[in-house]
Amino acid sequence: MTRRYKKITFLTGQSRPGGRAAWAMLLGCCALLASMLSVARAQKAPEASEEGKRVYEKSCAHCHGIEGRGDGSAAENLLPRPRDFTRGLYKIRSTEAGQLPTDQDLFDILTEGMPGSSMPGWETALSANERWEVVAYIKTFHEGFKENEAPRQIDLSGKIAYSEQSVETGKALYTELGCVECHGNVGRGDGTSAPTLTDEWGFRTWPANLAQGWNFRGGGDTEDIFKRFIGGIAGSPMPAFEGDSFLHFGLASEESKRLTELESKDEMTEAEEEESGKFYEKMDAAVDIALSITEGETLNTEDRQTFDNAMRVVYEKSWHLANYVKSLSPEKRPEPAIGNNVLRAQYVGGELPALGDAAWETLKASYFPVVGQIIVEPRQFNPTLDSINVKSFYNDNEVAFLFTWDDRTHTTALEDEETGKKVLEDALAIQFPVKVPQGPTAPKPYFLWGGRLPVYLWHWKASAPEQVTELTAKGINKAEVQAVQSNIQAKGTYTDGQYNLWVKRALKTDDKKDLQIEPGVFVPIAFSAWDGANGDVDTNRVISSWYTFVLEPVPSSRRFIYPPLVALLSVGALFGLRMFVRRRNS
Amino acid sequence: MKRLSLFTTCLIIFVGCWVFLRFIVGSVISVPIPGSVVAMYMGLILIAILVHISVEDSRFREFLRPLRETLVDDNRRVRRRVVAVLVPLVLLAYTYSIFAQRANPPGNPRDAHPSPPLELTYKDEVIGKMQEVENPFRHYEKDEPEAFKAHVENGRRVYYQNCFYCHGDDLDGQGHFASPLQPLPANFQDPGIIPNFQESFLFWRISKGGPGLPAAGTPWDSAMPIWENMLTKDEIWDVILFLSDYTGYQPRTFGEGH
Repeated sequence: MTRRYKKITFLTGQSRPGGRAAWAMLLGCCALLASMLSVARAQKAPEASEEGKRVYEKSCAHCHGIEGRGDGSAAENLLPRPRDFTRGLYKIRSTEAGQLPTDQDLFDILTEGMPGSSMPGWETALSANERWEVVAYIKTFHEGFKENEAPRQIDLSGKIAYSEQSVETGKALYTELGCVECHGNVGRGDGTSAPTLTDEWGFRTWPANLAQGWNFRGGGDTEDIFKRFIGGIAGSPMPAFEGDSFLHFGLASEESKRLTELESKDEMTEAEEEESGKFYEKMDAAVDIALSITEGETLNTEDRQTFDNAMRVVYEKSWHLANYVKSLSPEKRPEPAIGNNVLRAQYVGGELPALGDAAWETLKASYFPVVGQIIVEPRQFNPTLDSINVKSFYNDNEVAFLFTWDDRTHTTALEDEETGKKVLEDALAIQFPVKVPQGPTAPKPYFLWGGRLPVYLWHWKASAPEQVTELTAKGINKAEVQAVQSNIQAKGTYTDGQYNLWVKRALKTDDKKDLQIEPGVFVPIAFSAWDGANGDVDTNRVISSWYTFVLEPVPSSRRFIYPPLVALLSVGALFGLRMFVRRRNS
Repeated sequence: MKRLSLFTTCLIIFVGCWVFLRFIVGSVISVPIPGSVVAMYMGLILIAILVHISVEDSRFREFLRPLRETLVDDNRRVRRRVVAVLVPLVLLAYTYSIFAQRANPPGNPRDAHPSPPLELTYKDEVIGKMQEVENPFRHYEKDEPEAFKAHVENGRRVYYQNCFYCHGDDLDGQGHFASPLQPLPANFQDPGIIPNFQESFLFWRISKGGPGLPAAGTPWDSAMPIWENMLTKDEIWDVILFLSDYTGYQPRTFGEGH
């Protein structure tokens, strides 16, 4: 019976009538004031009207369906699928587990959209009034909204401010609570169970890459993250933190630590057995109370106290964990590699740094966003890769690149479920024109692996991590392996949900089909990448537009000679002018 | 308050004009004035100032007075030293910034509205002359509203199964695949798009996509697919009906003056 505490079970947001409305009251005046303030901010939707129906059918029904079942004509190709409003399962809420969202929650999602999914923000397309009408209309699809009882909102008043120490505490909890299983060691969504997850409707779903906060569906603020913990993400495998889905629910932090310590022992003494037994009893009691709340029972004072104490621990730990998750992502999505962020290879005097050399840490990576290839069939409508990040060094003879990208799975040979034949694997192709276009209006090759003008490609596959093959292509299905392969050194590694690929080539080669690289010349560059576990193969891939990179010329040493000379001359000129005026005056 | 010297007044007018042209006008009309135009205006202003100060001998002397004082007068020693330090420093910084400037990548000019071929084709089949072909379902709008509605609905399906990834739910060019693309997908809510083109032009751009652009349309960066490979002729005409139905913009027609 003790096993049930160790394993996180996936609550999928079953409806839970009745309540623990008194919870907020116990936190004293402060909490009360805060919740009153938040109520004051939150608006209520108007009564459902024809206007809401009209806007819904014009702007929403193509994905969410005329009857709100999430089965519009666009739905088939989308992952995550558009929400089925008839089930009343909402992922992004400010309310506790098993509760419906507030009107304000629905309004906020309509306004801001869900980053990383196909749900756009409607702030500019629809007026606030129209959005409220849509909220009212969406609510008519689910009976539960007709109950008058307001959903219980998550109390945010106990927020623990961001600090190094809180992040450290959160980091320890991340492992302890089992987040690693799905989200991976450092949070890139590469946990061992990541490839096996499905949502409530049976569709493949991937754990969030916690290092890409700009893709968090409900926003990347600490409060947003905290709400996902307490409320869960209904319909997805992400559990709400309560009852038996939370490690050692019912124990205080120190008790939990002690129990972990006891459980790690190979053999327990009799006294220790007794001690851990007491902990189990305590946890059992707390979980039973949680269950009875789920079943709608009213609690006596003592049980209420026990439950609130248990939840207080959950809230505290969740704030630390939220601070840790927040620390994993940059403040916002990096700017793409154009303008000031263009990829500039830096000159080094001697040998180019190898993979893992500390010198790479001194460069800022250029960010190349990628999208699903939906131009040529078969198409990739639901890409899993976000971007390729690139750094580069060069010396007098060679150039070295470091390509870094996040991929939740390390796939080297996976059988395609549909055909049973093709072997799927992760791969990257770096694309250059064979000849650099001269001048801005000179034609570049077609960005999708060339056309009339050919492109020159470096093709790397996860199954042969130390090999890059040179290709020439005149179209996405017209690539040929070059007969003469230049000497290209490559080394690819996969750690914690991230590929690092190091490639080194001479600036000049003898092969006319190769790109010749010169310092100071801007060269078009583009990418294709494949995530085998997502079914990517051939045209099924992610792609980027053309970008540019340049071997940043070593700044001319004249910059140390001419400017001081000019300054000196100006001093001389001023002095001469003074002499001239003086002479004339006398 | 002491009256400003003629030199200071001229300096203020000159710098003030430059700030006005370079920053203020640009932000009012929301497009900065090109550097060459600013230089031309500044040249005229400089000439005007020179004419003004050289009309009378005494005025010219008055203009030069502060300069002369700064250079030689004993009671202007502080100002002289400041000038002797500032002028070389500014020149040093300016020339260094010119030498240390990094090269910037070439721009991405393109012909957004390339001229279409004379004949409208679907795959290899010739539909007719570009200037004459009309949407075969457009007439239903008046003749058979029910049939027209069915075509628009089919266009809606086609749009949301194929186009909205880039062109957006609201047809505003902000689909969830749009932001990494260069150039950005067309925004059909922009009044400069649909009303400017005949339906035959829209059919041509949709059916041939980026690779079908004429040589003048380089540098070939458009991510628009060749839709005739994936959609039927009727589906393309229907989606054109949907574009104008959703946005409320009517494509250009062959008016009487044509």
